[in-house]
Amino acid sequence: MTMPEILVQYQAEIWQAIVETFIMVGVSILAAVLIGLPVGTLLFLSRKGNILENRIIFSSLNLVVNIIRSFPFLLLVVFLIPFTRLIIGTAIGTAAATVPLSIIAIAHYSRLVEQSLLDIPKGVLEAAISMGASVKGIIIKFLYVEARSGLVLGLTTSIISFISYSTIMGVVGGGGIGDFAIRYGYQQFKTDLMVYMIIIMVILVQFIQFTGTTVSRLIDKR
Amino acid sequence: MIKLKNVTKSFSQFSAIKSTSLTIHKGEIYGIIGASGAGKSTLLRLMNLLEIPDNGEVEVNGQCLTEMTSKQLRHARQSIGMIFQHFNLVANKSVYDNVAVPLEIAKFPKQKLRNRVVECLQFVGLESLQDKYPAELSGGQKQRVAIARALANQPQVLLCDEPTSSLDPNTTAEILGVLENINKRLGVTIVIVSHEMEVIKSICNRVSVMAEGECYDTLSVEPSGIQHLNSSPQWFVTQLTKAGDDDA
Repeated sequence: MTMPEILVQYQAEIWQAIVETFIMVGVSILAAVLIGLPVGTLLFLSRKGNILENRIIFSSLNLVVNIIRSFPFLLLVVFLIPFTRLIIGTAIGTAAATVPLSIIAIAHYSRLVEQSLLDIPKGVLEAAISMGASVKGIIIKFLYVEARSGLVLGLTTSIISFISYSTIMGVVGGGGIGDFAIRYGYQQFKTDLMVYMIIIMVILVQFIQFTGTTVSRLIDKR
Repeated sequence: MIKLKNVTKSFSQFSAIKSTSLTIHKGEIYGIIGASGAGKSTLLRLMNLLEIPDNGEVEVNGQCLTEMTSKQLRHARQSIGMIFQHFNLVANKSVYDNVAVPLEIAKFPKQKLRNRVVECLQFVGLESLQDKYPAELSGGQKQRVAIARALANQPQVLLCDEPTSSLDPNTTAEILGVLENINKRLGVTIVIVSHEMEVIKSICNRVSVMAEGECYDTLSVEPSGIQHLNSSPQWFVTQLTKAGDDDA
């Protein structure tokens, strides 16, 4: 089987688009894990009746997460332009695109983290407290261990959403597979090229979902 | 060993414990019995400050828990073991790891950790199951793992919140045997909350009866010994056919 001619013709651009998508999604994943995970954990711990109960922290985090998630994503991108410029120095390009993507990634994943932690039986937390565990010990040795398959599944769902979000980053010159499909396939009537791009995305999503589901099943001993 | 002085505890409007005092001596097996909602579990949970009293003092092992900083309290809790009705094991950790957790928390020396974990599992007779996960165990085995976990840091006191209430009679007898053994061999003071009269009568030296958030009465009793039920099918048949004669 030979590669369709059109793919060969646009090979360089396609590879570049794939790299851009990986950068945008990769940075989003990092933001989700490095910031979204702690934020979601704090949402859980500061909730009423939990060990770090604090109404102010809980309500403000909860509000911020809700606000970010209620924006239509395209509007969030536009709304964040001044902030993006402040951080990256420009609001245009792949690097700039990672800013709004990371913000939505944090809000998105923190909510899923909170949900997974809420599924842990309360008694496990009580056992942890009764054996004198510190907050850090409770989080690392109990919460994340008990919720790990939910955390992985949540991240899987999030990554797939990040791919979807990344497809509209063309509006700020972020590039990526979605942008490529729209510019060449839709705007220049190269439907076959668009279909090939969609196939790439489908394969990518299938692979991520399969990996996520498998990993979460393997680490679930409950 | 454990002293509660005029402790009270209410949840929103409901007053769960109304000014109660009691003293539990070293080496006792102390029972707390009463109807549902009488406040017996709350009273037990006050003993390691899992519930923080609204008023009053809690003293364990000569230390006043209610006056401690959170760091001191965490440290004190390491020598107060606790087991629960629903075992509360970490389902994603193996039997071995479940028992190792309290030791890690107490910063037990790493090179001695394995020995200590195995020692605890041997005490409850489960050393052969150390690589299993809780989901692969029976209820009685889970409770034994929970006991091994509670014993890991060599506590002075073991608090038991309805330890046998989700177990069948034979397994109950088995768990009570383990608790009695802990008391006799290791000298651990044990407090048991239960709504099952048989459980309390079989191993407790002293019992408090709770009613409506108060200690109705406290009495010294002679433990009647653990009833080992016959589990042969013929025994069940006999019990069924002579129904009505006596309620065993």
